[in-house]
Amino acid sequence: MIVAGVDVGSQTTKAVILGYGQGFGGFYSEAMKPTGIDVPEVSKMVIGEALEKVQLSFANVDKIVSTGYGRISIPFSTRTITEITCNAAGVHQLYPDVTLAIDVGGQDSKIIKMNSEGKVLQFAMNDKCAAGTGKFLEIAAQALEIPLDDLGKISLRSRRRITMSSICTVFAQTEIVSLIARRTDKEDIAAALHEAVANRIFGLINSVNPEAKARVVMTGGVARNIAVVKLLERMLGREILVPDNPQIVTALGAALMAENLD
Amino acid sequence: MEKTLAILKKIIEQPYSRAASWKMETGGKVIGCAPMYFPDEMVHAAGALPVALFGSNDAITLADMHLMTNACDQVRSTFDMLLKGKYDFLDGVAAICVCDQVRFFMEVWQLDHPFPFFHQMWRPYRMDSSTRPFLVSELKRLKSNLEIFTGIKITPEALCESIRIYNESRSLMRRLNELRRMRPGIMTAADMSKIIAASMLIPIEDHNKLMKELLFKVEKETSKGDERIKIVVAGHPCAIPNGLLLDLVEDLGLVIVDDDFFSGGRRFATDVVLNGDPFESLANYYMEAIPCTTSHFPGNWISEGKSYSPYGDYVIEMMKRGRADAVVLLRLMSCDPFDLEFVFLKKKLAERNIPYLTLFIDHSLGPLEPIRTRVQAFIETLKASR
Repeated sequence: MIVAGVDVGSQTTKAVILGYGQGFGGFYSEAMKPTGIDVPEVSKMVIGEALEKVQLSFANVDKIVSTGYGRISIPFSTRTITEITCNAAGVHQLYPDVTLAIDVGGQDSKIIKMNSEGKVLQFAMNDKCAAGTGKFLEIAAQALEIPLDDLGKISLRSRRRITMSSICTVFAQTEIVSLIARRTDKEDIAAALHEAVANRIFGLINSVNPEAKARVVMTGGVARNIAVVKLLERMLGREILVPDNPQIVTALGAALMAENLD
Repeated sequence: MEKTLAILKKIIEQPYSRAASWKMETGGKVIGCAPMYFPDEMVHAAGALPVALFGSNDAITLADMHLMTNACDQVRSTFDMLLKGKYDFLDGVAAICVCDQVRFFMEVWQLDHPFPFFHQMWRPYRMDSSTRPFLVSELKRLKSNLEIFTGIKITPEALCESIRIYNESRSLMRRLNELRRMRPGIMTAADMSKIIAASMLIPIEDHNKLMKELLFKVEKETSKGDERIKIVVAGHPCAIPNGLLLDLVEDLGLVIVDDDFFSGGRRFATDVVLNGDPFESLANYYMEAIPCTTSHFPGNWISEGKSYSPYGDYVIEMMKRGRADAVVLLRLMSCDPFDLEFVFLKKKLAERNIPYLTLFIDHSLGPLEPIRTRVQAFIETLKASR
C-alpha cells in the first residue's frame, strides 16, 4: 500500500509518501514547497515531487490524509485530520518516549501533551495573534536585513542584553527600526527578538501544565532556529529533541494516519 | 415546525422592530433591559414591554471613544447601537448591576444620553439571609420607580399574574430543551439560542403562543439517531452566540444537548415559585439562582463542604443530565465574571477528567478556520480516547 500525508501550512506545504507491503519492501519520501495561493495545485505538486523521487505517480497512491490550515481545500484527500493529531502521530513515530511536542510554524504555535501511547491528552494554540510564531521571526529578519536562516545564529553572538517592549509582530517591526536608528547591534536586537518569541512559547507550554519529567520535542519551521530552541531548553530546564527535518513531522503523521484509516 | 421556527428566527434578524411596532400600536412604554437576570416580570406588570439589550454583530465604530478600554464586546456593541440611534424607540433603560461593566456603561449611558426612565437595580453580591432584606427593598424600589414612570400601579395580583406568564414561558422553553436533550439534533443549537433570545424581544404572550405551536410540532418529531458526540456548552454570557460558530461546532461532529447561555439555559433554568408575596417570591428566585459567578453564595460553600466551584458542579450536573461526554466553553474577551469563574471551573473539570475545549470569542468572530482546527482536533482527541 502507498499512502501520502500532505501538510498545508500557512508558509510551506509538506508531503510524505510511505510505501510498504508486497513488492515494495517499505520506503519513505518527502518534499516541501512554499504554499502560495493555489492550495490544491501546490499540494498536488508537492505530493508529485515526493512520488517522483521513488519513481511513482499519483495513480499509485491508495490513501491521502491532508492536514494543516489548508487541509479542507484539497479535493483529492481521503480524509482531513488536524495538524494536532497528525503532529502527535509523527512525533510518536520518531520519538516513542516523548510526551510533549512544541510545534511552531508560520502562523501557529501549538503545544501538544500526549500519553505514552502518543494519544493527545491536551493541546494549546496561540490565539488570534502571530506573536511567537515563524511570521514574527520572518518579519524581524526582513527588518534587520538578515536572511531568516541566519537570524538564530547571529543572535547567539549578542553581547548586551536588551529587551523588546512589544511582542506584537507589527509593533516589533517599528521597534526594530528605532533600535537600528539608535545604532543598537543587530546581534543584540536579534537576541531580544528570540527571547520575546521564546517567552511567548514558554507561556503557552505552561498553559497545558506539562509534566516535570516529560521528554520534549520541537517541530515546525521555527525548530530550525537554534536560538529559540536553546532559549526554550534553558527555560524548561531540559533538553529539547529536534528531528533532522522538523518541518516534515506533521506530514509524516498524516501519512501514518492515512495508513491506519478504516 | 418550519414555519413557526422561521417566524421565531426572523425576530433576531430585526430584533427591535416588533418592540417599536408594539409601541406604536399600544402607546405603551418600552424598557431596554441590560443582561442579565433583570426581573422582566416587574416591567410587564407595569404594562411596559421589556426588551433585552443584546448589541449586534455590526462593526463597532463609535462606542470605543466613550468607554473604558477593557469594555467587553457586549457593552461596546450595545453602546455603539445606542450611538447609531438603534435604541431611539426606547423609553427607558434598566439593569441589575451584575458586573462592573454593566454598572459603569449604564452610568455613562445615563450621563451622555439620558432617557426618561433610568434604573439601576442593585443586587447584593453576597447572597444570604443577611443581604436578603436589601434585595427585597431593591425589588420594591424598582416597583415604585416603574409605577411613577408608567403611571400604572403594580398590584400584588398583577405582579403574580406577570410571574405566572413568565413561568409559563420558562416552562415552555425548558420543555424544548428537554426534547433536545432526549432527542439530540432535533433542534440546532444556533436555532435554539435564537428562539430563546426572541423571548426577550417580543411581548411574552406572543412568544408563548409561538412556543406552543413550535412544541406541538417538535413533540411529534422523532430522534434521527444522532451519531455525534454529545456536549454541553457554557459561557458566552450576555449575548446571543454567533450562529455560524454554533453551526460549525455541530457540523464538525459534536451535538449540543444543553447549554448555559444567557439566551439559553440560564433564561429558563428555574421558575419564580409563587408563595404568596410576589416580592418574597422574586427574592427567593434570586437567592436560589444558578450559582453564577456574578454572585457569591456562601451557602453553597458551606452546605457542599469543599466545593470551591458550585458553578462547575452545575455544569457537570448538566452534562450528566444530558449524558454529554465533554464541555465546550466560549469565553468572551474582557468578561471578568466568567474569566474568574473559569479558574475554578477548569480545575474542577480537570479533577473529574472531563474533557473540555475553550474557544476565545470576540465581537468580530474573525476567521472561523482557527476555531475549526481547535474543534476538529478536540473531536479527534475525544474519539481517540474512546
